[in-house]
Amino acid sequence: MAPDRKQKKELWASQTVPALVQRALCKLCSPLKKEKTQPQQFCLSEILARLLAVMLVGDSGVGKTCLLVRFKDGAFLAGSFISTVGIDFRNKVLNVDGVKVKLQIWDTAGQERFRSVTHAYYRDAHALLLLYDVANKASFDNIQAWLTEIHEYAQQDVVLMLLGNKADSTQDRVVKREDGEKLAKEYGVPFMETSAKSGLNVDLAFMAIAKELKHRSMKLPNEPKFKLHDYVKKEVRGTGCCKS
Amino acid sequence: MEERGGAGQEAGSWQYRVDSYGFERPEDFDYVTYEEFFSRYLVILTRRAIKWSKLLKGKNSIQKSLKVKRYIRKGIPNEHRALIWMVVSGAQANMEQNPGYYHKLLEGEKNYKLLEAIRTDMNRTFPDNIQFRKTADPCLQQTLYNVLVAYGHHNKAVGYCQGMNFVAGYLILITKNEEESFWLLDALIGRILPDFYSPEMMGLKMDQEVLGELVKMKVPAVAELMDRHGVMWTLVMSRWFICLFIDILPVETVLRIWDCLFYEGSKILFRVALTLIKQHQASILEATNFPDICDKFKEITKGMFVTECHTFMEKIFTEPGSLSMATINKLRETCRAKLLAQG
Repeated sequence: MAPDRKQKKELWASQTVPALVQRALCKLCSPLKKEKTQPQQFCLSEILARLLAVMLVGDSGVGKTCLLVRFKDGAFLAGSFISTVGIDFRNKVLNVDGVKVKLQIWDTAGQERFRSVTHAYYRDAHALLLLYDVANKASFDNIQAWLTEIHEYAQQDVVLMLLGNKADSTQDRVVKREDGEKLAKEYGVPFMETSAKSGLNVDLAFMAIAKELKHRSMKLPNEPKFKLHDYVKKEVRGTGCCKS
Repeated sequence: MEERGGAGQEAGSWQYRVDSYGFERPEDFDYVTYEEFFSRYLVILTRRAIKWSKLLKGKNSIQKSLKVKRYIRKGIPNEHRALIWMVVSGAQANMEQNPGYYHKLLEGEKNYKLLEAIRTDMNRTFPDNIQFRKTADPCLQQTLYNVLVAYGHHNKAVGYCQGMNFVAGYLILITKNEEESFWLLDALIGRILPDFYSPEMMGLKMDQEVLGELVKMKVPAVAELMDRHGVMWTLVMSRWFICLFIDILPVETVLRIWDCLFYEGSKILFRVALTLIKQHQASILEATNFPDICDKFKEITKGMFVTECHTFMEKIFTEPGSLSMATINKLRETCRAKLLAQG
């Protein structure tokens, strides 16, 4: 039989970024303290490079795959996307303030029945991007249910961000930006509107979580604390021409 | 061959080519290598077509036998594919016993939520196939919609599960017949793959666990690698099993697998998965971390090994070794019990 869940959880937990980085830093500071299995020289960027898992969740059809493809390849080709079945994954290396961070991004099927397949992976995710479609009221109404699900299955300190996607839809829009902001505030979650079609805030969304994760894993003594909320507020762009 | 004649040979028109099922070939499609394979495969196809004509002798029926099983493993010619699938899966018999049933489903009262879920996937089913474009005439999107709506109302416990859109789409491409596609979908979802697509997806989860056990037995180093890095089988397998290798393996290869799926049942899925894993064992074992393992499982579904469908199908019956139904049933039982215990 496959190893039981608890074992697996421990396995993954044992290699979370903070633990690894701390060990590495430890070793860099005291090279005489020997640990047989670890190499002497540790490259921080390499450690980060393989460990950041980001998961995209939200109702079917809100544009998770489109967002990911826009971020990964900078492209949006209307009518070229297929519905995601089960769970799909893509890697992308980001340069965060000079440190290479490799994101493994899990793209999930939005249909409810797949949740029992995908929630097994919630706890392995370092960050979650929760999406709704501003042109689909039901997808917005379901955000609370998603948050409950996340609360139940994800790690307590998971980095979470709410995204109102398809912000380019002007005529079809049914969820106002203020509604998204209000809901996000209620749950203390950073929020932005995105558009995979126009590219609005797409890179920012991934960069923001990558920055947060990087800062969490490398708490250097003299560095000011990174504040995800503030960063998002400062960098986010509105659907118009001006900064919001 | 493959709609490649006539005007298509002109310079500059190589891109935007479509295969004989209507799928656009990717821009980087290796025509030279494919041509080379296909000219060899054409000889096999011709030989099989002659053998099948003799076997069928113009009849529209066939009895299950060792000979038929062997013939099916060697591939059903495209012109007989729909008929043979219908007959060996029992879909034909069901259709004949229930005349008018399909159309009654379409005319009956509808579950709005179900329609909405199906509609969401309409533009997201084979956008790379010219027959499924909104502008196509006839447009298979409407056919697909009908089949899925009818099925969702026929099998209310399953309703609509993403992945069924692709499966039904393939059935439509092969049968070119709405009602037959419906009954074939029923054969797959109702009988051949029980509980794969239902809300609990117990059949799917069970078979993923079973595959894990089979890998442990037959390719232990890979099982150990997956264990060490905490990669659950469901992460790499759910798409393979739900889409029945659509969009994972080349079209021709998928159809050859389905030939056996309709005749022999779901065991064939294990054979395909095990063959891919065993064949690429050395490459998979090069992976040293979680994302790399995931990437490997994408890589191993590409290349000539899977394109050469005839050789591939021979391999799946030799490479994994014996795979008795008794073993599988026993594994299914224990895996199911384990899953139920986990809740």
